Amino acid sequence: MGPALIELKGITCASEDGVVLFEDAHLSLHGGEKALITGPPASGKGLLLKLIAGIERPVRGTVLLFGKDITGLKGSELNGLRKRIGFILGDNILISNLKVVENAALPLIYHSGLAYRESMERAFKLLDIVGYRGDPWALPGPLPPYAKKEVCVARAISMEPDIVVCEGFSEGLAGPEKERLSTVLAGYHGASPGRLLVLTADDESEAAFFKPDRVVRIEGRGFKEA
Amino acid sequence: MVKRALRYLGHKVIGRAVLLHSFWRIAVVSLGSFVFRFRRNRAAADVLLKQIYFTGFQAIPIISWIAVILGLVIVTQSLSILPKVGGEHMIGEVLVWVVVRELGPVFAAVIVIARSGTAIAAELGSMRISREITALEVMGIDPMRYLVMPRVIGTAVSVFILTFYFETVTILGGYLLAGFGKRVAFPVYISSVLESMGFLEVGASLLKSVLFGLIIGVVCSAHGLMVEKSITRIPQETTNAVIGSLRLVFVMDAVITFMFFYI
Repeated sequence: MGPALIELKGITCASEDGVVLFEDAHLSLHGGEKALITGPPASGKGLLLKLIAGIERPVRGTVLLFGKDITGLKGSELNGLRKRIGFILGDNILISNLKVVENAALPLIYHSGLAYRESMERAFKLLDIVGYRGDPWALPGPLPPYAKKEVCVARAISMEPDIVVCEGFSEGLAGPEKERLSTVLAGYHGASPGRLLVLTADDESEAAFFKPDRVVRIEGRGFKEA
Repeated sequence: MVKRALRYLGHKVIGRAVLLHSFWRIAVVSLGSFVFRFRRNRAAADVLLKQIYFTGFQAIPIISWIAVILGLVIVTQSLSILPKVGGEHMIGEVLVWVVVRELGPVFAAVIVIARSGTAIAAELGSMRISREITALEVMGIDPMRYLVMPRVIGTAVSVFILTFYFETVTILGGYLLAGFGKRVAFPVYISSVLESMGFLEVGASLLKSVLFGLIIGVVCSAHGLMVEKSITRIPQETTNAVIGSLRLVFVMDAVITFMFFYI
């Protein structure tokens, strides 16, 4: 097991509606792990991702990313850590006014300092790796969910992050599509020993294709190993 | 009753103060990130160029039509009145007073509010609703730097260019349509316009255009970002963006006119 890349220490946090979802909760996720986090709808999976991304702050406790406390971080320091995580948000969110390939290249163009052409070439390669077969110059709006998910995966791994977090990965995907994309993610995870892959799902059966080596349940305002 | 009225008034004042503060914050952050961090950011440069293309370049047909028609109206009116008082030579001054000092920047701003201000507010609002702004945040991309700054600066640059274009087309087009063949020869017309155009007129016009552009970009972006949770907020905030932009543009117009030509 590698070092702890994500640590939640004694966090207490409520949803936007004021419902306390975590109370003195602890969770550590390490490099090399393939972790599945399950919990019924509105149990706090989305809130957990927001805490990891530093979008939400806990009322109490600390959130550590790569060993650094992010609860007090803002601006470029926080963004510097965020770019080391690839997020695949539920609903397959892509930037609607950017073409497919521009979506995949966006983190590279914004963060990497690579030349524009190089970034685009890499984005084309990534789209190929994830199996995207549509028009790379199309706007993403009319794409089917599966194609959108492929672009989201390409974008998430474009910066070669140490952590990849997927929210509701299987939503809107049929069996073979799930298998194929989870193989892509597993391949990315296995390509370097220190990478952490985290998936969230309502229950384990939903993510059976993922074959996690660790399952954590959100229960009683905290986390429990399954 | 009095207590309720005071509470209502208090709410209104605080709401207005919060709104003005958000405008101020967006203006400062946009200008700051443009001046200090823009060079290293190709992604934001792309958004800026797209904004200038949409707000500036694509507005040229409508701006041209309005400028030519306005020029026709002003030159026709001037040439119907000035000869009666022996003031044909004043045509240039009238045009500079009316078009360069006032109507150029204001018309360009109003057209940009109608075309692009609404688009900015609606686009940012829908990006907020569809969680695209959250997606940018989790990628470590600062939405202020990537989405808002290029829109604010792009709008300012576009209004600046469109104002200059509008004034040129109004003055030239007005003469071609209404003044051609009349008593004022074209060289006399042009030299009269140029002689009347001093530093004060040009300076006020340019300052107005830049500030109007900044106001439109800031106000429309702020209202777009205020959309939360419900899609029905998008048209409401778009309307608020238009009204807010118009209000501030006219107030700023009055302030600059007063500063330049009264004090």
